[in-house]
Amino acid sequence: MAAPKGGNFGKVLEIDLSTLTYKTRPVSEEILQQYIGGRGLGAYYAVTEYKAGKNPLDEDAFVFVGPGPLSGTMSVSYRTCFVNKNPLTGLLSHAETGAHLAGEIKWAGWDGIYIKGRAKKPVWFSVVNDKVEFKDASKMWGKTTEEAHAMMISDMKDPLIRTAVIGPAGENGALQANIIVERYRAASRSNVGPVFGNKKLKGFAVRGTKYAVPVVDSANFLTAARTAKTTNVQKEAWEGIKRWGTGGLLELKHFLHGSLITKNFQTTWYPDIVNIGGEEAARRFWKRHAACTNCPTHCLKLGVLRDGKYKGLVAEGPEYESGGLMGSNLGMKDFGQMIALIEACDAYGLDNISTGGTLAFVTEALEKGALKPADLDGLKPKWGDGDTYMEMIRRIAHKEGKAGKFMAQGVAKMSKQIGKGSEAYANVVKGRELAAHDPRGDKIRAYSYTMGTNGGDHHEGQGSKALAMTAMADSLCMCTFTSILVWGAGSDKIVTDMLNPLCGWAMKPEDYWTTAKRIITAERVFNVREGVSSKDDRLPKRMYAEKLPAGPKKNAVFTDEDQKKMEADTYGFFGWDAKGIPTEATLKACGLDYLIADVNAARKKHNL
Amino acid sequence: MDEKKLPDVLQKETTRRDFLRGTATAAGGAIVLTAVGGMVPKKAEAQYSVQAVAGTAPYAQKYLFAERQNCTGCRSCELACSLFHTGTARPAMSRVWVYKHKDMIDLPVICWQCDDAPCIAACPTTPKSITRDAKTNGIVLNEKICLGAKCMKCQEACPAKYIRGNPDTGQPLICDLCGGDPQCVKACHDQAGNPQGPCLMGRPVGIGVNMAYRSVTPEEAGKDLANLLFYPNVEGKRVVSVKTKKGR
Repeated sequence: MAAPKGGNFGKVLEIDLSTLTYKTRPVSEEILQQYIGGRGLGAYYAVTEYKAGKNPLDEDAFVFVGPGPLSGTMSVSYRTCFVNKNPLTGLLSHAETGAHLAGEIKWAGWDGIYIKGRAKKPVWFSVVNDKVEFKDASKMWGKTTEEAHAMMISDMKDPLIRTAVIGPAGENGALQANIIVERYRAASRSNVGPVFGNKKLKGFAVRGTKYAVPVVDSANFLTAARTAKTTNVQKEAWEGIKRWGTGGLLELKHFLHGSLITKNFQTTWYPDIVNIGGEEAARRFWKRHAACTNCPTHCLKLGVLRDGKYKGLVAEGPEYESGGLMGSNLGMKDFGQMIALIEACDAYGLDNISTGGTLAFVTEALEKGALKPADLDGLKPKWGDGDTYMEMIRRIAHKEGKAGKFMAQGVAKMSKQIGKGSEAYANVVKGRELAAHDPRGDKIRAYSYTMGTNGGDHHEGQGSKALAMTAMADSLCMCTFTSILVWGAGSDKIVTDMLNPLCGWAMKPEDYWTTAKRIITAERVFNVREGVSSKDDRLPKRMYAEKLPAGPKKNAVFTDEDQKKMEADTYGFFGWDAKGIPTEATLKACGLDYLIADVNAARKKHNL
Repeated sequence: MDEKKLPDVLQKETTRRDFLRGTATAAGGAIVLTAVGGMVPKKAEAQYSVQAVAGTAPYAQKYLFAERQNCTGCRSCELACSLFHTGTARPAMSRVWVYKHKDMIDLPVICWQCDDAPCIAACPTTPKSITRDAKTNGIVLNEKICLGAKCMKCQEACPAKYIRGNPDTGQPLICDLCGGDPQCVKACHDQAGNPQGPCLMGRPVGIGVNMAYRSVTPEEAGKDLANLLFYPNVEGKRVVSVKTKKGR
């Protein structure tokens, strides 16, 4: 087992909450070269340590918090990836978040944090370089995410410490719960909140001052990192993201693209978007731009409401997903109320996407008579009714009453429970609520929703190649906005040009693709062991059954032919068979021989 | 590269940076790196000799300024500074740092190159451990005689509360202006596309403004900006009526 020469320290911080101890978990050069870091390394741990059917809320279940080899270097922007078995879907999931956490983990001398065990009473822990301290979180328990964040900062007496915390939703085990990083950034799409809550872990705080990421060949690495950054700065198309963040996409997808989700995917045409979209926010709300470490794109927009019911609210957003799910998806017309819903989710530690999907599903189910107000403790949500939605969010976060417990299971389980044809408008893939892109208007997005490991995730890559590139970006822990989306097909060269001098490797551009296929195929094997196959790689029923009634993509529908084409393309690209199961030859080619027996057993068990 | 997208109203002459940009277009960025990132630390002459390349006066940037409101908190200044001075990306070693105020405001904390240099006046050693370089106007530390963590009189004297301790040696981290070519300024300008323009600037004269700004502490500057931008919620509290207790 060789120690890494550059890019990594070869050390993952292993936290055991059952005993409140920590140790160094060595990670070898070979593993890092094969799985890179972040999402890939987390997938490696999951696929090698878990057996099929593992309960994600077991005491020894883990959450891997991973930066990547480029984090903490002169590379353009870095992110942190949270990997865990997802309690909402029962599948392997990963969630990426921005801010400054990734760099601090590296500068503290760690390649990642592996958290397992379950504390007896609420705890949090701090990591300052080599020093790890477990602290009592009983006073933080029940507090909102920004209160816990502020308490950690004041406890550490360090305004520059970086935090990751859950809110009441995660503590109470609401399945939509997420982790909020540094108050405004969220790691949501692995529904990691209830896992932290189950472990009685409120969160952690990290500051690194002692170490620098080792670089094997500094001059060449800096040249490559510089090229990568320049390529970003030069892209004119990204001016929009700089100006409006992703919030500007709200108007774009309504007016031009025909994929803005509206009222639980009933249409994509929502003229009221001009009152709640990016330009409205730019005019009345946003006050400044904020960036993750070393990022020229600064997509986070902070603003303050100066009138209305929520006057004085300082908030981040709307982003495309939060504005879509909490705006057009709920038929909101009042900007302040929409921002308040988004901010309430962040305060409670709820995923905007899953929560927005839940609220919209309940609203439609009530509209169609599948649910009665009596089933919801008297709640009567209607499109655009911000006050009721606010109350529903509060009840989900606290799992309060019959309605709260019912809604906190997410759309898939609610629909299964009520039946009455509600599956026709339960918009989930593999048990997870869809993000804000309607795949009838944005067909290439269907790859991300259906073929991605997470299921229902907008951020897995549009197209088979993009799936692979996204897996690399998430493992390197780079933001896709500053990497693959601007580099396109040239990503392989740009990335290997950076990695080789950084780590002392000799990766060729084609190795980039092999590595990506290895990571995705390992993740796929994990999910195949849980019974996933092509039957699960499908969009919600509505996408095949109902034509878009209005908008630029009027009459568009996702056809069986689209589905077949997408399956053939993706399975073909990754070397999986017609049922979406990785073939033995593919496993061998990816260096995943150790998973062949698992796949064969899964084929037999699930009749695949 | 399309220069229109990178407005730089403060540098009207052809600067070294523009020159390098132009060259970079032809040479695919490699030249920029040789000059900007690929330098070997601790060989001061080698670093600074690139000044002459563009034909501009050497040591032109004798003062730093910050348009604090434009800061996005990306910390590229910290990375560039630490890279220049230590050869590694390590913000804790940076001579410029980004302060975060109430989760709302990011702002750079810089050395204002005070003309009366209270830090130098406060330095108790003979000769002084920190001195001003007459040519560059930068403040230079003599690591051999500085008393380090047990002294830090310079830190106490700094009206801007700018000076931090080196986490390895305990000695103060003070801005030497990279010998007249501040790397933080370049890094900030490279974050081009900020609709508001870059935050950090280097100028040949201080015009006394530096002496006014220097008395503003990071916290005071944070309060100012919170007032300016986020009024009426200057404390940045989350005022959604989030009830955290059960019961209805």
